[in-house]
Amino acid sequence: MFQSLPSYFREHKLAADVRTIMLLRKAINKGLVRTTGDLYVTLRGLITTSPKEFGPFATAFYQYFLDIDIKKGESLDSAILRSETFQQWKLKKIKDLPEGEEPNIKELIDEFLNDVHLTSYDIDQFLKGEDILNNDDPNMADDPNGQDGDIPPLNRMADYENMSLEELLERMKKVAEQQKRQHRGGNHWIGQDGASPYGNRGGAKGGIRKGGSGGGKMARKVIGDKNFYPVDTKVTLKDDNIDVALSYLKGIEEESTEELLDIPVTIKEGVKQGGLFLPHIKEKIDQKVEVILLIDNGGWSMTPYIKNVTKLFSKMKRRFAHDLKTYYYHNTIYGGVYADAARSKFVTIKKFNQQSKNYSVFVIGDADMAPYELGDNSIRDWNLIKERFPRMAWMNPLEERFWAGSYTINVLKQVVPMFPLSPYGIEKAVQEMNRKKRFGKYS
Amino acid sequence: MALTNLWTGSDKYICDPELAQAFHMARVLGMPLLIEGEPGTGKTELPIQFAKSEGAELFVYPVGSKSTVDQFVAKFDHVKYLRDSQVEVLNAQRIEKGLEPLSSGGRSTEQLDDYVNLGPAAKAFSTPNSVLLIDEIDKAPREFPNDLLFALSHRRFILPESGRVIEVSEEDMPTIVITSNREQELPTAFKGRCIYHFINFPEPDMMKTIVEKHYPKIDDELISKSISLFYQLRRLGLERAPATRELLHWLKYLQTFSKSEALKKLDTRDGLGVLIKNHIDMLKVKRSINTKPFYN
Repeated sequence: MFQSLPSYFREHKLAADVRTIMLLRKAINKGLVRTTGDLYVTLRGLITTSPKEFGPFATAFYQYFLDIDIKKGESLDSAILRSETFQQWKLKKIKDLPEGEEPNIKELIDEFLNDVHLTSYDIDQFLKGEDILNNDDPNMADDPNGQDGDIPPLNRMADYENMSLEELLERMKKVAEQQKRQHRGGNHWIGQDGASPYGNRGGAKGGIRKGGSGGGKMARKVIGDKNFYPVDTKVTLKDDNIDVALSYLKGIEEESTEELLDIPVTIKEGVKQGGLFLPHIKEKIDQKVEVILLIDNGGWSMTPYIKNVTKLFSKMKRRFAHDLKTYYYHNTIYGGVYADAARSKFVTIKKFNQQSKNYSVFVIGDADMAPYELGDNSIRDWNLIKERFPRMAWMNPLEERFWAGSYTINVLKQVVPMFPLSPYGIEKAVQEMNRKKRFGKYS
Repeated sequence: MALTNLWTGSDKYICDPELAQAFHMARVLGMPLLIEGEPGTGKTELPIQFAKSEGAELFVYPVGSKSTVDQFVAKFDHVKYLRDSQVEVLNAQRIEKGLEPLSSGGRSTEQLDDYVNLGPAAKAFSTPNSVLLIDEIDKAPREFPNDLLFALSHRRFILPESGRVIEVSEEDMPTIVITSNREQELPTAFKGRCIYHFINFPEPDMMKTIVEKHYPKIDDELISKSISLFYQLRRLGLERAPATRELLHWLKYLQTFSKSEALKKLDTRDGLGVLIKNHIDMLKVKRSINTKPFYN
């Protein structure tokens, strides 16, 4: 059962696979999934890996299990209103209403959502907390999974847990099969009170639920809220994806220390002591992250990006407080770079290249200029820097599709590996850098 | 049998329904629970309070930037081993000369296990029904979570050098809770082996209940006033919005005064430093919440 689930969720860029189905089965066998709300919570725990995935997850869930198709930019409410599932559910609901009373659509949707997101946890709570179930509801007997009315509610809950599991699995199977055939099996879940004998009642009698209504409310909040959707990592750096970018930058290399047995010293001292070897310990210190930024801060072409670039690197500065150096240049380099943003302190290439080879050099600039500006001397200078620092990458804020149109970009791309200045590009650049070997401490 | 009952919090800890369900699910399925959420929303408290109320033994591994799997699982003490093997040689010479042999504290160099120091993970896996907390895993070097993959999916650790295997059945699996502040993205393969839960920031009503759990004797007016101010501050869009922890600290401070004094302090926004921990934020707060009405 649920064979089509992974491919369905994968379409929404979620990491569902065979293991998801197996774990879901296990959860069902262990009695964790008894209502659609449970199913929602269980699957969310299994599939999502960040709040950024809650949005796509909710969309996929509504589509797969409830046949509610949320179009891009559409609110959850209107998607629900359109759906067959809701119409069926409504028909049933309206029957219960007293004659002549017109249902309030907003309230109906609320109720529907509460029904969908009712979890067995909520039920446990109201069984424990309220005596409401003692006044037995005649509806109860009609429920396909319900037990006889005269058993006390707590037992009934327990009975249900043990006995109807088979039935429940059977039902889920049916739903899954129907899903494949006609894509509307979802209404089984709701039309017939879902898998929960309490599903209908719990939500319907409003106010019985204790601490429960969160599910429906949350679902509404999730759809369309940008906090619950993934950041597009291919988009040029913006305020809201700077943190993502930074998480990749952190991948450059970590600093860590560990104690190691210093074998040469131990042997040397041991021999001196006439064969009594006393262990000598040395600290193993891994290289730290050392970053040089080379920023193009002249010319109007870079202006639109300056703010975000500065923001990214001011955040970076906080992280790599000691090992971040920033240099500036204008369009391209001629014999050297500048140590200050006003470009008054000139640093020659020779001096620049005296720094440790271990620095990772990020060049930030659009590399787009008039062809005559990029002379042979300038290309030679870039080559000199590249030779000194193997870990060097050019981050270009210009969108990648425009690169081909610029002569200078194509030339510089040959010298320094170039990546788009987007979280995705930064990730690629960092991966590329990490492939280069490291040098001793003083090289 | 592992602790698979539904746990909904204790008198010291409020577990919101969704968290309780995710936690329950993780324990039933024998998977670690990975909790993310804003700082100060009680991520670390969950396993601590759970262990306390269930009377289970708790093992904590606070992760730092230098954490290694060695420290987490078990470490072979090479130094002690080297010393003991040297002592053996020495003892042979001493016995020859008729001297007392030196002691090696009951350890034997034949028994490699004697030199293995168990870390929290190995201890938790060999104690049935224990609780293991891996705190702030996002601070770890990138390899750390990857190195745990095998152990988590096979419930098995292999100790270094001695090769002893610590294995646990699914029934006796310790309750594992992992917390993260999202300072760096965890590997997908790692997340796939955990039940993921994101703690949402509590709504004002919930917050009130939380505060009452911590300070049962607190004055009602003081709570509602401070909570309303607290949420007002959170809405300002600060760089570092105050969280539950800060509110609790602040109330702790306010409670040291009499009621009227405390309310007065509330009005004059006294002790905001507990809530706001960033200079720029503080300036922003001072600008947007006037400490004095302008007509005074």
